[in-house]
Amino acid sequence: MSLVKKQSDDLWYMPAILSGMRFTFKTMLKNLFTRPDPKDKLAHRTYNYPEEKYEYSPRFKGNHILTVKKDGSLRCTACMLCATYCPASCIKIIASESDDKAVEKFPISYEINILRCVFCGFCEEACPVDAIRMGPEWQTPGLAAENFDYDIKKLAYRAQLEGGIPSRVDDVERHEAGI
Amino acid sequence: MLKCKINDKEIEVPEGTKLIEAFKLADQDIAHYCYHSALSVAGCCRLCMVDIEGNPRPQIACNTMVSEGMSATNQSDSIKETVKWGLDFHLINHPLDCPVCDQAGECELQNQYMKFGSGYDSEMAEKKVKKNKVVDLGKEVVLDSERCVLCSRCVRFTSEITRTNELGIFNRGDRSEVGTFKGKPLNNNYSVNTVDICPVGALTSKDFRFNQRVWYLKNKKSICTGCSTGCNVKAYFNEDGYFRFKPVVNQEINGYWMCDEGRKVYKSTNKENRLMGYELQYGDACSKEEAFKVAQDLISSAVTTALVVTGQQSNEEYESIISYFKETLNSEQIYHWHTTPGKEDEFDGLLMRGDKNPNTKGLQKILSEKGLGKDVSELSSVDTLVVVGPENMTHVKDLKAQLEKFIQSQNVIWLGSALVEELKEMAHVKLQMPLRTYLEKTGTFTNHAGQDQKVTVVKTVNKQALALTDWVQLMQNQEVQQDQGVKFPKVKTNFFMDDRGTV
Ligand code: SF4
Ligand code: SF4
Ligand code: SF4
Ligand code: SF4
Ligand code: FES
Repeated sequence: MSLVKKQSDDLWYMPAILSGMRFTFKTMLKNLFTRPDPKDKLAHRTYNYPEEKYEYSPRFKGNHILTVKKDGSLRCTACMLCATYCPASCIKIIASESDDKAVEKFPISYEINILRCVFCGFCEEACPVDAIRMGPEWQTPGLAAENFDYDIKKLAYRAQLEGGIPSRVDDVERHEAGI
Repeated sequence: MLKCKINDKEIEVPEGTKLIEAFKLADQDIAHYCYHSALSVAGCCRLCMVDIEGNPRPQIACNTMVSEGMSATNQSDSIKETVKWGLDFHLINHPLDCPVCDQAGECELQNQYMKFGSGYDSEMAEKKVKKNKVVDLGKEVVLDSERCVLCSRCVRFTSEITRTNELGIFNRGDRSEVGTFKGKPLNNNYSVNTVDICPVGALTSKDFRFNQRVWYLKNKKSICTGCSTGCNVKAYFNEDGYFRFKPVVNQEINGYWMCDEGRKVYKSTNKENRLMGYELQYGDACSKEEAFKVAQDLISSAVTTALVVTGQQSNEEYESIISYFKETLNSEQIYHWHTTPGKEDEFDGLLMRGDKNPNTKGLQKILSEKGLGKDVSELSSVDTLVVVGPENMTHVKDLKAQLEKFIQSQNVIWLGSALVEELKEMAHVKLQMPLRTYLEKTGTFTNHAGQDQKVTVVKTVNKQALALTDWVQLMQNQEVQQDQGVKFPKVKTNFFMDDRGTV
């Protein structure tokens, strides 16, 4: 049995298409005959990309961020739960023993192959210590020679992050509380 | 035989069986930490509680002998409740370390809590007793006292099996900690066994620590070729190579244990220590076809040929290469290179033997059957010498001296799995051909006591490499079929995806 039904002849889809077209033409005419209002960006819906960029909400799941501790070092404990959970198998972590006994295990290399990533957010969900998040940046284009294996430098300390985003889970505080 | 009833299942067990063993024989799950079949009974974890008919209170199964007509169950509500709260006691001071703990994934605290425990708060935000972390116990083992459940298995191991008594439990109550005595680190040659029997991640092996998450590794049964005992092991591996060995119970050969030296044998099978391709004189790479052409020329043009073998190959390979030399090449010059001469009878009383070749017995048997076999010290120079080098180089002390002797021959063909840097500088070494290690081939090894053990292909690290049987066939221009062992998919897939949502 085929699951694809033959399309019937009735025109039930037309009202939706027409209302969409109405919106498109309305916006087009408005953009042609009015000037952009700098105060209300949304009023004028066409952007001069790439000079003007649309800011997504902070909840948008774009490029990954590795968070940092208070002292600026990586929060990641190299538990590899994100790598285990990742459906695209695009996270590669090499763990090592830290000299600091309180840290014990940390990643000497953390790479995400951003071209394989499907931006599902499972890594963020798997992480027990809020070490990986997905941020509002979404521009990932690059030239052919660009390295699409994002490393720790890019994931945690790229210029846009201004020195690193602090993690919400703090071991030091837990230890001080005797937990 | 005694008849008994375990969770309403009628079974017969031999006299003198402990009740906990009867549960295992009846395929019934029973929570336990401190009981280990090879060690004495401690009865300290109190998890193996059962209800015995006619007995008013719960009793521990590990310290109870089965008697005729006994009926025991751990399925009653009161037992389930007892085990649940027992487990909670074990967890109450346990740190939230699973993400950095090497045991996670094969941890009995995780497994048994999921099976027998109550639900727990994943924040684990109660106050805990703080203990020492990352304690260096000795050259192989690291201790984390906070994770320890004080089952005392490790302490009993050092007092009953190795009889070295390095470990003890110090202090009392919730401040009890496992530790070593001052100036007496845990440095015996069996110390990593404590890591295996530790049900939690309190003891971890320095060699394996943080190298891999255990759920990324597959395993397959094989043997250890570290010495002529031939302990049974499980080799753990993934697509990058081998990562560790763990002993497999075989009462006739190794019991429950293996030695620390043997655990390092996997290193000789990994890429870093391997001859990966075919090499001509001075290490010039060449193709397999070219290499065989050169080898055939060297052998057919030679008036005298000789073969040197070590006790590190399988019986099948000895059979084929020795027959090839004797029958096809009509050479009777076959020499046994014993890499640890004069140490055949050394034995440390537990497992490890002085003869570091796993198959000396097998080689000697085949040589004597054919009426061949001289010691390598009798080797004189020939036109073409074929040397089958040792697989595991760590114990070969006389390598330099032997190589000097080998290159007195005009042409040397070196067959070996291990990387030997010196060979690249030697002008007389005309060819190096990579061999498979024992984890990459099927064959039989005969241990010191004459027990034959079969090994099968686990996983190939070097696809170019050959078993000696293949080499002999290719030298005679015959076709060979090679088994590659466990294969990994070319396209990367995340096999954990399929199990999502299950515990
Ligand atoms: S967003 Fe999804 S695909 Fe991308 S790295 Fe995270 S888990 Fe993997
Ligand atoms: S990012 Fe989080 S989940 Fe991934 S390895 Fe680091 S700590 Fe573990
Ligand atoms: S011992 Fe087990 S429960 Fe404890 S931290 Fe390690 S993995 Fe987790
Ligand atoms: S270190 Fe491991 S084996 Fe030793 S007492 Fe603690 S839990 Fe048991
Ligand atoms: S296994 Fe019986 S008390 Fe621990």
